[in-house]
Amino acid sequence: MVLGVGEGGDRDSGVMVDKIRPIIRQLKSHLFLTSNTLTRFIDTRWCGAYDIRRRPTTMPGSASSTHRPEGLIERLRSAASDAGEPKLKVLRELKNQIIGNRTKKLSYIKLGAVPYVVSILSSSSSSDSVLVQCAATIGSFACGVDSGVSAVLDAGAFSHLINLLSHSNEKVVDAGARALKMIYQSKVAPKYDFLQEKNMEFLISLLDKNNENLTGLGASIITHSCETSDEQKILGDAGTLKRLINLLEGTTSQRDASLESFATIIKENPQVISEFVGPENGRTWGTLIELTKDRYPRTRLLACICLILIKNAVPSYLHSVGIRAKLILILLELVDDSGQVGDEALFTLSSFIADEEGLQKLAFEANTIDKLCDHMQTESLQPKRLEGMLMILANLCLNLECCRSVLLQSPKLQTINIITDALSHTTVDVRVAACICLKNISRSVKYLSAGHFMTEAIILPLLQLLYDTSSTVQVAALRTISNLVIDFTMHKSLFVQNGGVKQLVELSKSMDSRVRLNAVWALRNLMFLVDSRCKEGILLELRAMSLTSLVSDPSASVQEQALGLICNLVNGSVESIDYVFSDDALLLNAVGRQLWSASKPEVLIQGMYVLCNVASGKEFQKEAVMHQILPGSSNDDTQSIMVTMLQSGVAQLRTAAVWTIVNLTIPTGAGALARVVKLRNAGIVSQLKNMANDPCLDVKLRVRTALGQSMIFGDFST
Amino acid sequence: MAIFTVGLKYKGYFCIVFNLHGYISFNDLISFPISFSGSSKFSLQPLFHLIFFARHSELQSLDTAKMPVRMVESPTPSSSSGANPGQTCLQPCSLLSVGQTFSGTQNVSSPQKEEAWRVNVRIQGCDLDHGYLCGTMEALNVPMADTPVVTFWEGEIVDTKNYTFFTNKWKATSEVDIDHWTKFPSFAPLLSQVEVDGGKSLDLSNYQYIFMRWKEQYFVNVGSDCGLTIAGFYYVCFSCVDGSINGYYYDPNSSPFQKLELKTTNEGRSGFSFSSYELQ
Repeated sequence: MVLGVGEGGDRDSGVMVDKIRPIIRQLKSHLFLTSNTLTRFIDTRWCGAYDIRRRPTTMPGSASSTHRPEGLIERLRSAASDAGEPKLKVLRELKNQIIGNRTKKLSYIKLGAVPYVVSILSSSSSSDSVLVQCAATIGSFACGVDSGVSAVLDAGAFSHLINLLSHSNEKVVDAGARALKMIYQSKVAPKYDFLQEKNMEFLISLLDKNNENLTGLGASIITHSCETSDEQKILGDAGTLKRLINLLEGTTSQRDASLESFATIIKENPQVISEFVGPENGRTWGTLIELTKDRYPRTRLLACICLILIKNAVPSYLHSVGIRAKLILILLELVDDSGQVGDEALFTLSSFIADEEGLQKLAFEANTIDKLCDHMQTESLQPKRLEGMLMILANLCLNLECCRSVLLQSPKLQTINIITDALSHTTVDVRVAACICLKNISRSVKYLSAGHFMTEAIILPLLQLLYDTSSTVQVAALRTISNLVIDFTMHKSLFVQNGGVKQLVELSKSMDSRVRLNAVWALRNLMFLVDSRCKEGILLELRAMSLTSLVSDPSASVQEQALGLICNLVNGSVESIDYVFSDDALLLNAVGRQLWSASKPEVLIQGMYVLCNVASGKEFQKEAVMHQILPGSSNDDTQSIMVTMLQSGVAQLRTAAVWTIVNLTIPTGAGALARVVKLRNAGIVSQLKNMANDPCLDVKLRVRTALGQSMIFGDFST
Repeated sequence: MAIFTVGLKYKGYFCIVFNLHGYISFNDLISFPISFSGSSKFSLQPLFHLIFFARHSELQSLDTAKMPVRMVESPTPSSSSGANPGQTCLQPCSLLSVGQTFSGTQNVSSPQKEEAWRVNVRIQGCDLDHGYLCGTMEALNVPMADTPVVTFWEGEIVDTKNYTFFTNKWKATSEVDIDHWTKFPSFAPLLSQVEVDGGKSLDLSNYQYIFMRWKEQYFVNVGSDCGLTIAGFYYVCFSCVDGSINGYYYDPNSSPFQKLELKTTNEGRSGFSFSSYELQ
């Protein structure tokens, strides 16, 4: 038996035909239907009201001499030059050859078939049925193959197809509209200029037509060409949204096309949304809600996408917990669809819950984890699907400890193995998603403290990813590692022994600032509460000189992490302060310089805490800090950085600065009095007095301590 | 943590708490006759009330008399009467940040014997938005343990947004809550409001004391059969002024009001030192 596809039947591309083929097979076996009945059923569903014919008896690709490409091309050339060959027959043969067959399309394009078809299309002598065949063949070339679209456009088909739209014969119009729609479904199609008045008029006229193909073309044009917020606004103002909403009551294909272009017009545009949609536009809102219950999965998905776009742009419009929970349930149900709808549902759900803890909670309560784990454990998943599932799990675990707990406890532990295996997946996006997923699961201090992640099964593949050829993967792996190395137990050695530090140090010298940042970040976290042996190991690998250049890195974020690293380095046993004094206080001077030159509060906070930690050391170390904050002579009028920091609007920076002063003025130190005098002379003590009622409680309490300590030596202010 | 067993309860029976898998299974009580000759692993303690009149470091404040500036004191927290009560998180306090360590004692005395464990605490995680704090607690001279015993605990910060003064779990009734909270002098100004609504309408964001419940979750370095129990939890009061911590252990099956007293440590430094990590 043969699966016959009628002219222009690959409206939904050859890919679609491939996709429905297994469904047909299943249906056939279940319903005992003949292939013809089924083909008709399927084509009416997917291809609209197309006239369905059996293909010629020979299958495309069979070794028949009549269908040798060169022979067909010769006959096509003859038909195009009115040299006797019947146009209709040749065109139909060609079309049947290429439908749903990407290889054939490419080979006929290469042989130059497209210009002949366009030439027949442009010929005034062509009959209506020839025009229909031409348009269908062109549409077929354009369907699902970008180089086909280019070939069609290069041959000048576009204007001829547009002309067909005003033809008196409805069938010709239909065929023209279908072919144009195929073109507009490709990214290489020309961008439609909405700014031109006559273009907009034409678009509106398409949407106003009582013809599924014309309205579908209008919708495709919008979906393809509307990119900027200005274009969205113009389309809204011109009344397209209203028309698209009307079309939502049409056929399935009209509904889906309209929903897609509707989504394009409202995407990330609160202005358009508040003007044209939203709950106060009761009808639109109601229709969209209603369509989330439609019988067709794709329609349900598109309706959900529209509502989620509305929520993302104007959160107040989708405030009802009930609707939010319902959307999650619908999307979860759509995940069961094994095709494109299922894949898209995964990514839609993932982005829906990405930024809001409340939604993550709702998704958790809807048993999302159970459902995904079931899928992951029972099916062998396509990369796209696996990626989508990993991303949902990642977003669920971003904030919620309950989600992490569920995954980390049996019987879900198998999922962790699947996630770990995905670290070595052949597809880049899956590797990245697995890293992100693991990163978010490891945001649990409880499980980090229990050493849950410092296992060979997790650490070794992650370390391997540090050598990945894709820098996106490297960055994702680094981000995960930077969480895992916080591990509070003694397990850090596993990471160190397997060359982790060496590779992090290597990557901290990368030219790619994202790689550099995350490598330094991981080193900073690794340095948190480690013993001196580990500190030494890291510093030996990193070298003080490289660390100083990271402190003054062009990227402020790298500076911040590098300073955080030094801060952790000099924390712990008092001897560790010595690290910043080696090589003529190379590191301390670098930190001091950065404090004078940097402006970003995050950088200054970390730098100030380095000084604070150093100031908690021996007398000479306190003096060295004094030198960093008051480098000039006593006659120097330059305001100390300390005063600037104390006056900062960022409470955390003020806190760090006051702690440093607290450490410098601890009365037991031999040089405390002298330091208090210097700080007073530099205007720092009087600045502290101004802060006695600081709005930040932490600052206020430390100021009290600092002032209390400096007063012990008497108040010289009067 | 507390000594595993609880003793001498009703009518000549010892009640021994049997724990195989941590605190959850701890609820099972098994009664033994008085002739029971328990293994030496179990130390048996009679129940009794201990009342401490220890120095409360949270009462300390700096002598500000010599200061030429006027301090605005806010000794009592404000009671917000607006429509949005208690919605502000607590302000971060640098002395209660990750990496900070504390040391002191937990008093586990019995009438027969004065006893206190040395205790070290380290803060490992802090998430004020969720009213969450966690860390480890190390008990040093635990009688029947060969090594120091380390537990991991999670804390609920009473910020009136995520958590109120009422525990509503862990076998703690609101009466038990009030009994414990009132042991902290700094709780006194809050008592009347807490009795009404658990403190839900209080704004504690500028209060100099942070109240918490610390619940040990698992043993880090020993098995759950180590002879110690983590079934109960601590009522904790942290002073933002000097970083001192006071706490009372509550477990209906352990000696009541075992007092925890901790101070910030400086590891031989002349001053305060800070460290940090940042989760991605």
